[in-house]
Amino acid sequence: MPTRFIELSLRSIKNIASQDATLYQPYETITDISAEPSEEITPVFHGQTKLKLNTIPLKPLPEETPVVAIDVSSIKIGETTTGILLAIRGAIVWKNQNHHKYHYLRIGPFPFHITEENKQEIYQLFRQYSLDTLTPNTTSTPSLIHMQTRITTLLERWLQMNIATQSQNTLILWDGSLTAGTNDSPLHIILQLLETARNRLNTVLAFTKITRLRLSGHRLTDLIEKCTPPCLLEMDGYPIAPSNAIHFLGNIYVAKLTQGNCSFRLDVDRKLPREQAVEAIQRLLANDQLAESYPETLRLAHIYSTFTANEVIAIQRLLAQTHGIKTVNRPNIRRLLFGPFGKGPESG
Amino acid sequence: MRLYRKEGNTIQILSFPTENVEKGDYLKIEDPKQNKALITQIIDIQFANVPGILEELLRDSTNDTHLNGQDFDPLEVSSHVTYIQDARLLICKIRASLDNGKLNPTSAWLPNRSQSIIKQLPTTSLLKLIKINHSLPIQLGETKDQSPLNIDATALDGKLNIVTGKKETGKSHLSKLLALNLVSHGAPVIVLDLNGEYAHLGYGADGKKNEYNNRINVLTPSENFRVALSQMKLRVILNILIHALNLPGTSAREFRRIWQFLDERAALTLHELGETIRNWRCNQHVRDALFSRYYALLNSGFFTDNPSEAVSLEDCFQRIRSGGALVVNLRDTSLVDRQIVVEYVLGKLVDLLTQQKLRAVFLFAEEAHLYLRETYWDDIVTRMRHFGVFTTFVTNQPDTIRENIYRQADNVFLFNFTNEHDLETVSRAAKVDAETVKSIARDLPAHHCLLLGTAVKDFPIVVRVKALNVQTMGQTRLFFTEKN
Repeated sequence: MPTRFIELSLRSIKNIASQDATLYQPYETITDISAEPSEEITPVFHGQTKLKLNTIPLKPLPEETPVVAIDVSSIKIGETTTGILLAIRGAIVWKNQNHHKYHYLRIGPFPFHITEENKQEIYQLFRQYSLDTLTPNTTSTPSLIHMQTRITTLLERWLQMNIATQSQNTLILWDGSLTAGTNDSPLHIILQLLETARNRLNTVLAFTKITRLRLSGHRLTDLIEKCTPPCLLEMDGYPIAPSNAIHFLGNIYVAKLTQGNCSFRLDVDRKLPREQAVEAIQRLLANDQLAESYPETLRLAHIYSTFTANEVIAIQRLLAQTHGIKTVNRPNIRRLLFGPFGKGPESG
Repeated sequence: MRLYRKEGNTIQILSFPTENVEKGDYLKIEDPKQNKALITQIIDIQFANVPGILEELLRDSTNDTHLNGQDFDPLEVSSHVTYIQDARLLICKIRASLDNGKLNPTSAWLPNRSQSIIKQLPTTSLLKLIKINHSLPIQLGETKDQSPLNIDATALDGKLNIVTGKKETGKSHLSKLLALNLVSHGAPVIVLDLNGEYAHLGYGADGKKNEYNNRINVLTPSENFRVALSQMKLRVILNILIHALNLPGTSAREFRRIWQFLDERAALTLHELGETIRNWRCNQHVRDALFSRYYALLNSGFFTDNPSEAVSLEDCFQRIRSGGALVVNLRDTSLVDRQIVVEYVLGKLVDLLTQQKLRAVFLFAEEAHLYLRETYWDDIVTRMRHFGVFTTFVTNQPDTIRENIYRQADNVFLFNFTNEHDLETVSRAAKVDAETVKSIARDLPAHHCLLLGTAVKDFPIVVRVKALNVQTMGQTRLFFTEKN
């Protein structure tokens, strides 16, 4: 982990301490869904004329292949008079094929106090490391409310790049999709990530937990229900993005890998031949445990990166102890105005 | 420690792992603004209900064979997580309030939640506050903070006490300690010793005579404790016949006439009693009933016609009146014989007290349900108490003591109980709330006792009972030990 991340984290916190040393508890201390870097951009499939889809039956391919999963979480710890306080953490989980054992590396949590003054510095640092470029960012620094999403994605990209360059002949599982063209996922970066992975004989498989994929109004995850797992559902048409800037860099499938109620959108690097993509999924079936069609490595990566309420309290305590920053609850405006009718996220 | 909530007289305090507190400890919640403080006692320690704890435990529950890994946590947040995970909730009962330094048993005020200072209150400070009189000290042992705990003998004077706990927790040890301390303060003590445990109180652990030796009188029925019928009053012998030997009313009336007949002739001997029953003009069934009881008296070996063998209980009581113990050794005595002896001793005792020949006596009754008749229970806590019989019941079966005894008990010396039913029974003691009894008694180690009542001014205190340099008897005879 670059020392500068840690230094910047500490420096940003000292910044609060030198101000009014009061941290206002946010109304929600759960992970902000909108901050999920894996938020799906749903394609529309053009050229798909029939409701009948191609089903690809799968068979586990018992060829020893390491499996690595990456996930990153962030949480809003509180607000200050000048900014917001976030914590960010990443988790890498891999399965040791010799011992059939899972291993994890948790990175963080790192608290960051982001203000209008330091947001550019923080954002640039994340971009510098995560997007592996020293060229100054041409895009503007996001607003404070979007900083959480942005730096979460950037840390995730940094971890993904590290795994892609350090692994070989490995199945790399991402949380989310292979969609590029957003501010945090520039096309050339994702292309570079996938290329790096391919060059080292790695295969990137991206699982989207909740998909809005539809065909003629039908949810694709519902259509696969009738198929016998393990199988994939393949669309005929071409995915069309809602804007020209967006690019889908993966072949999009719906995967039902085990018996059960769940199925997921699964993106596989488009530049891989179809047979190789299917083979990679078959190797995943043989090399990882799957429950409800979801790989265990990715499930563990999610679990190990996610913040619990206790961890939020622990970070608040750390700030109080090391920097004298006190957390206070903001008055509940809804409650103040509407009394018992003041429902909202804060009403618990 | 931080004040969390208050409900009734229960206060919940948030405590952290670095704060070393245990059940039974006292805490002082000071409110500097009001210049008041609450004295509370911890009756239970629970984990604080920290949000997200379940997720963390589940996440960390995977064992090394399935999953392992490492954390890169340069800011050491995990140490704070562990600290919070181990946060504890202290369930405390309010025992008193300190208003401008003055102890007040009620607490009609609420301390400031954020400003209050919570500190541990050492037992020595508590004892200073509650001002236990130490004119006649009885050192029971040490409290958890290693300070000696003395109660005053006057706290047992005129009082009803219960020593209870499950087997082998140290009940008899404590009652011996109390008895010997009372003796050393010049009090007369009578012990109804079911298992012969007190017979060697006059000997040290090394078998040599100790300082109490000449003040311990052991009476073993049918050995060195036999009585002549002439020493008995009609009321006492009738109590024996009716209550111990279940003599029916009609036969009892006939016996009364026989007794009066013999008494008028100064012929109250076993031999004469037998002959008179044989020759008495009465219904054959009555005669048979009287004969069967006569033989029960005869076979008990407790009665004698030889005046030199007869023990004068008056003399025995005189010997202990300025400090001594009369141990009635009921070991190896049958149930009926036990009841006969106890009826006699208590009857005689009441006589002497009524006649003011004895000022008062401390009676220690071990497992009293095994020899005390039903009607005596109420008698002991009401009538006999007024005569000057101050009883200490010692039992490991708390349900054998009636609820009204618990309610009227002035002091309860409570040892460990794990059985819910036993705890429920003991919790009826009026001196403290049921929660305290149930929670603290359940976790008391052996030889630790929870003191409740007058002796500690109603501030329950846990004490480790000190060792006693007397020969321990009454230990269970073991097969394998003897074989070896």
